[in-house]
Amino acid sequence: MKELDRPLIQPRKSVFLTKARSAYQQHLGKKRIPTWLIVMGVLVAALAAVTPFYILLRMFGADGSAWLRLLQSRLWVLMGNTLMLVFAVTGAATIIGVGLAWLTERSDLPGRKIFRWLFALPLAIPAYIGAIIHLALFRPRGGLVPQALETWFGYTGRTPSPTGFGGAFFILTLFSFPYVYLLSGAAFRSLHASLVESARILGCRPWKAFLSVVVPVMRPGITAGALLIALDILAEYGTVALLRFETFSSAIFVQLSGRYNRSAAVVLSGVLILLAFLFLWAELRLNGRARFTQIESNWRESRLTPLNHWKIPAFLVGSAIVFASLVVPLGILTHWSIAALSDYAAFSSIVRTGSQTFGNYIVNSLSTGLLAAGIAVILSLPVAIFAVRYPGKMSRLLSQMCQVGYAIPGVVTALSVVLLVNRLLPFFYATPLVLVLAYVLRYLPQAVRSSESALNQVSPSLEEASRTLGKTHGDTFWKISLPLIMPGLLAGGALVFLSSIKELPATLLLRPAGFDTLAVRVWMWSHDGFYLQAAPAAIFLVLISIIPLALLLRKVQAFR
Amino acid sequence: MFKKNIFIAIILGIFLLAACSPGGLTSDPGSGSGDPADDARLVIYSGRSEALLQPVLEAFSEAYPEIEISLKAGSNSELANAILEEQANPQADVFITTEVFTAQALAMQGVFQPYQPEAAISFPTGYVSPDNLWVGLTMRARIIMYNTDLVSESEVPTSIDALTDEVWRGQVATTSSTNGSMLAQIASMRQILGDEATEAWLRDLINNDTTFFGGHTDVRKAVGAGEFALGLVNHYYYHLQLAEGSNVGVVYPDQGEDQIGLLTNATAAAVIRDANNPRSAETFIDFLLSETGQRLFAEQNYEYPILSGVATLAEIQPLDNLAVAEINVALAAEDLDETFDLIDRVGMP
Repeated sequence: MKELDRPLIQPRKSVFLTKARSAYQQHLGKKRIPTWLIVMGVLVAALAAVTPFYILLRMFGADGSAWLRLLQSRLWVLMGNTLMLVFAVTGAATIIGVGLAWLTERSDLPGRKIFRWLFALPLAIPAYIGAIIHLALFRPRGGLVPQALETWFGYTGRTPSPTGFGGAFFILTLFSFPYVYLLSGAAFRSLHASLVESARILGCRPWKAFLSVVVPVMRPGITAGALLIALDILAEYGTVALLRFETFSSAIFVQLSGRYNRSAAVVLSGVLILLAFLFLWAELRLNGRARFTQIESNWRESRLTPLNHWKIPAFLVGSAIVFASLVVPLGILTHWSIAALSDYAAFSSIVRTGSQTFGNYIVNSLSTGLLAAGIAVILSLPVAIFAVRYPGKMSRLLSQMCQVGYAIPGVVTALSVVLLVNRLLPFFYATPLVLVLAYVLRYLPQAVRSSESALNQVSPSLEEASRTLGKTHGDTFWKISLPLIMPGLLAGGALVFLSSIKELPATLLLRPAGFDTLAVRVWMWSHDGFYLQAAPAAIFLVLISIIPLALLLRKVQAFR
Repeated sequence: MFKKNIFIAIILGIFLLAACSPGGLTSDPGSGSGDPADDARLVIYSGRSEALLQPVLEAFSEAYPEIEISLKAGSNSELANAILEEQANPQADVFITTEVFTAQALAMQGVFQPYQPEAAISFPTGYVSPDNLWVGLTMRARIIMYNTDLVSESEVPTSIDALTDEVWRGQVATTSSTNGSMLAQIASMRQILGDEATEAWLRDLINNDTTFFGGHTDVRKAVGAGEFALGLVNHYYYHLQLAEGSNVGVVYPDQGEDQIGLLTNATAAAVIRDANNPRSAETFIDFLLSETGQRLFAEQNYEYPILSGVATLAEIQPLDNLAVAEINVALAAEDLDETFDLIDRVGMP
């Protein structure tokens, strides 16, 4: 989800803009960068980079015994588990995502316009909610599926365990393939018909044409999606904790919430950050060299591939994925919600816990999410303006520093916020604003990338014209740039909001007393074994998530 | 121009929403900002499951409507960590734990302030801190509950040691070590049996395909539904499940001559040092130890009340007739780090 914007727009970037910008860049040599812009940019980038660097500093300063204990026992197991899960999920989700994107964009799959929406919607369901339902369905003996097998077929034997690697792999793949689906769908849509045709004319067989022309053109989109998934899986806490598959994130959470010594948590977090950096670097290497420019003028869509006798199997596969990732979770949540509403005890505990009511949870989720979105977008502006309008070594460095947050899982953000804020800004700690701060730190990159791509689409000559006509920087920004980049900013805000209200580990650790969000309630109730009570909160969370998701999807022509 | 206004409106809207949200985003729930005699609020950190605390909270709110409660529930150790982190800037007023070792460990770190409720004067040692830094609330015993459709009374293991028997492979459910009661059980066993025997027991339990749930409610429901034959839980989870109409039975284990005896523990409460609302905290603890509070714990939750005047429910086996293991609380608390090390070493979830 996070990166929806960049590749969707990139392939359509017109040659005119690129030329205009490079001319502008040459002209820039004489231009002075406003001081306020430098100061703000540096401040924002410093804020974004402070948590990982603080953790890395603490990691290298951690005493040797913590390192030794971890090296001797758990570090390698955790490393193995984490990498295995990341690669398996990323691989499978990429294959599924690209495959489904090809079906809806390049084939004559029946109902492909509806499937286009249905394949994107699982993004509104946090994976941990999927895991809760997965457990309820497949628990040995007690789950709904084994019970149904018993009543209908008299089968009482063993059913596969829903937990461990298999379960985590299944659930995380099911709820993260849409990232790749959306990004590669956009790439398929923008694919120029003449490319494949030329390859075919030059004598390539269809498969060869696909591999040597289509795949390279799509690679940036696919790797961007895969990177997002990989970083997401590194950061995932709820699902692996529920399905009892121990990764770095869940081990850090246990250390952080269960042990009284911080050094193990710091060391594990440091290793996790380095892993994430490695992924970011690998994606840069893979994509850094490749540049494909498609000329817009005679652009036309490729012909759809007829599926012929594969039509029905393809339709069934698509339907099965929709069934597993949308129909089953929403159906069971609805069923539970109805059961909860008709059970007095369950209902009253949903309505009121401690001194809080269900309304509080919704307002808490909305207010922290919206505030985080607003602040992240505002903070992203100076960096984006600096990076796009004054390209250079310094502005590129600042922009990349703001991307660092991608690599920082929620537990690590929580750890550094606990360590830093409680010491430096004690009055700020234990207010809901600390949650907002964590969300901003974690999801600032999404806002920065959206703002940069929005600004990229506005020709600097418009601003130049305004300046020539005697308007100040401020006036030009308010009257010319801002209205033009508004949709892009809203999209960035929607992304931050969507991610924030789903966020779990940092929220659990940092929430002040009496300030539970919907995500926290879903977690607390289901963790305590009260699934009926958790269902209404989960439904609300999904419904609220659909709003920003729909907003984002409707930015894309194909979803209108 | 129009779009600019939208932008401003959105920003304003966000801040308005934030300001209007109940409790207020900017109002600090913990610190009364230099107004120590405020006491209109009560911030509770509770390691106990919310569902078990809710009846008492409701009754307290009714008795003291002027005190506004903020609850943060989680695991014992999660909240203990929060209290330690917040030592210089305390947010909580009162801490409720599911076992006394964590309470004692925190007391030794100096994060509690002494308070002796009148009711606690008569409490047995082990259920009140020697320096009045924490006080016991209710007692509970670690028992084996079983599904009577799957296991007959004569087959049920009568010792926790027997849960590792091959016969029960894959049929035992209990909670993970993040649960306070499980942690306390391991800490107690280390004291009675020593490190090696406890480690062997844990390894055998894990190797016997035992399922470790996040909480006891999952365990009791799974045993009630026949997913598992046996569950290692606190005694009241058996009664809660029985009350739902399941076919479950209970064994109070290790009652033989040469056996370790029943493992018990107590929930505890403490006032946080430099709390913002110390009066509220004390009022709340008094209420928990009052007849009303104790009866709620005894009748709603099937716990053993700690106040001698309040009767345990008739269907619950009284502790007086049972062989109960003796534990040195201070020692177990000092050893908590080694208990954690043991858990990490055996890789218990």
